[in-house]
Amino acid sequence: MAAVVSLQNVVKSYTRGRQRVEVLHSLNLEVQSGEFLGLMGPSGSGKTTLLNLIGGLDKPDEGQITVAGERLDKLSGSQMAAWRARHVGFVFQFYNLLPVLSAERNVEVPLLLTKLSRSQRKTNVAAALALVGLSDRASHKPTELSGGQQQRVAIARALIADPTLLVCDEPTGDLDRESAEEILQLLTILNQKQGKTIIMVTHDPRAAAYATRLLHMDKGTLARDETRSAA
Amino acid sequence: MKYLPLVWAALRRKPARTLLTCFSIATAFFLFGTLQGINVGIAQITKITSVSHLIVMSRVNMGSPLPLAHASQILSVPGVTAVAPIDVLIGTFQGPKNPIVVLGTDLQAMAKISSDIMIGPAQLAAMARTRNGVIVGVTVAKQFGWKVGDRIPVHGLNTTKTDGTSDWQFDVVGTYTLQQPDWATRIFANYDFINEAVTTGKNQSFEFYVGISDPARSAAISQLIDDRFANSPDQTTTANEKDFLESTLAQIGNISFLVNGVVAAVMFTLLFLTSNTIAQSVRERTSELAVLKTLGFTDAAVQWLVLAEALILALVSAAIGVALASRVLPWVTSGPALAAQGIGAMHVPGPVYGAGALVAMLLALVSGVPPALRARRLNIVTALSGR
Repeated sequence: MAAVVSLQNVVKSYTRGRQRVEVLHSLNLEVQSGEFLGLMGPSGSGKTTLLNLIGGLDKPDEGQITVAGERLDKLSGSQMAAWRARHVGFVFQFYNLLPVLSAERNVEVPLLLTKLSRSQRKTNVAAALALVGLSDRASHKPTELSGGQQQRVAIARALIADPTLLVCDEPTGDLDRESAEEILQLLTILNQKQGKTIIMVTHDPRAAAYATRLLHMDKGTLARDETRSAA
Repeated sequence: MKYLPLVWAALRRKPARTLLTCFSIATAFFLFGTLQGINVGIAQITKITSVSHLIVMSRVNMGSPLPLAHASQILSVPGVTAVAPIDVLIGTFQGPKNPIVVLGTDLQAMAKISSDIMIGPAQLAAMARTRNGVIVGVTVAKQFGWKVGDRIPVHGLNTTKTDGTSDWQFDVVGTYTLQQPDWATRIFANYDFINEAVTTGKNQSFEFYVGISDPARSAAISQLIDDRFANSPDQTTTANEKDFLESTLAQIGNISFLVNGVVAAVMFTLLFLTSNTIAQSVRERTSELAVLKTLGFTDAAVQWLVLAEALILALVSAAIGVALASRVLPWVTSGPALAAQGIGAMHVPGPVYGAGALVAMLLALVSGVPPALRARRLNIVTALSGR
């Protein structure tokens, strides 16, 4: 399998007040295409920072990041935005749907950046909502949906542009056990049946059990790398 | 256009706030449209008033009548070509809801004096034949649905007839128009018909319209007329129509300055209101804007979404305000008192719509640029982490 994500000697630090805090220390990582990677570790270990770098939301201070064949550390802001639109689907802990838009309108948002016609967008949105089992909730607004359903809409939005990579930051962190299971099973299907590469940050060992590879981070470094069979 | 749902969604996020802001902007632009309409209307009055004829009034009081006998003396002043007296009958047509003013005059003389009044010779002849005839402006005829041959009953309010009643019957014998037809609002009757029927104020005229041979000599002729009555108990003040109007307006003040000052003050206040609304809206949507950037919207795209929001809010609200002004202004400026002065309904002039759109765009840009720049500079990681 080819490496879809490659990090070499990546350093990232933040300034908090007058202090400069190095969050990632010379990190090296490769993620192969089709992997379901779980990132675990205590708070402040650098999981979300790493996810942000891989997802093209932030840039490293040092080192190289190559994702889907593109050197992210070399891209300008607008190039990075275009790259994200094409290659990455994001799933957040708190769904981050636009509250006044219906489910289908939320899912459609990434397609507004493409040249697809309105009817093509509509067809794709219907397919994505069907994939996450929410065809009957297309016209509902986020406030009219349960947490699990909102997260499914977020997954449909993440998938709609057929990205190379799904980046999930605590996707089950705000869900009850049952809804969390449904979301994790959905991610597993996307990984196994559609071959999507998924990188998921989680604190929950039960969620981590769904990943095919588990990275433990501690104090800005990779502490342990486990490859395992899928749940 | 495909981004419109996003802009619309942002505006719908807090419907009450959007509606109130829309209402504020619409009110300001209603004022803008109305005041500019009045400004242009006044300029129009000044423009259409003439230096080619004079108005003679009482020096004591504008409302005090002058003796009809002044007419022959005025006519004898060198340079005067015609004199028309004006008597005023205030009344109602078909009930108190329709107040009207009938002007008794010598229409043959008036037609010579005011070349802008367009009346056919046949209608002038009909007026001469019909003692109770009236020539009505096309606008007032349209307003009441009058046509030639109609009989108009008028209940007088300011005078009683010799038969003890206050009811008048006038026959419509013709209509007149002007270059600006909606200002043809007067009702002209025969002076003699009204004068002979009234019990009080007989042989009096509220003012005289005077035709002159040389408009360039209007000041000199005015002086000659006033000199003629200098030792009379009924002294006169004479001016050409334009000078008279301008001196009256000057007493009120610099109307254009006042109007523009009020509009500028309103717009300046509105600027802060709109800026605050848009800025607050952007602050509340920090995480949503960050999500848009996460999904691939560039900094510039997010900036334009915020600006579009400000532009749509300002333009739609301004359009509502100016549209409302265009409906209300003609309605409030079409009263009988103004109509009797030959002043028709004022309208929001065409250029004001364009100027309104420009001001609205300026308002949107000035109030929308700072929050748009803030949205552009928004850091995704910081915004999503809630810092």
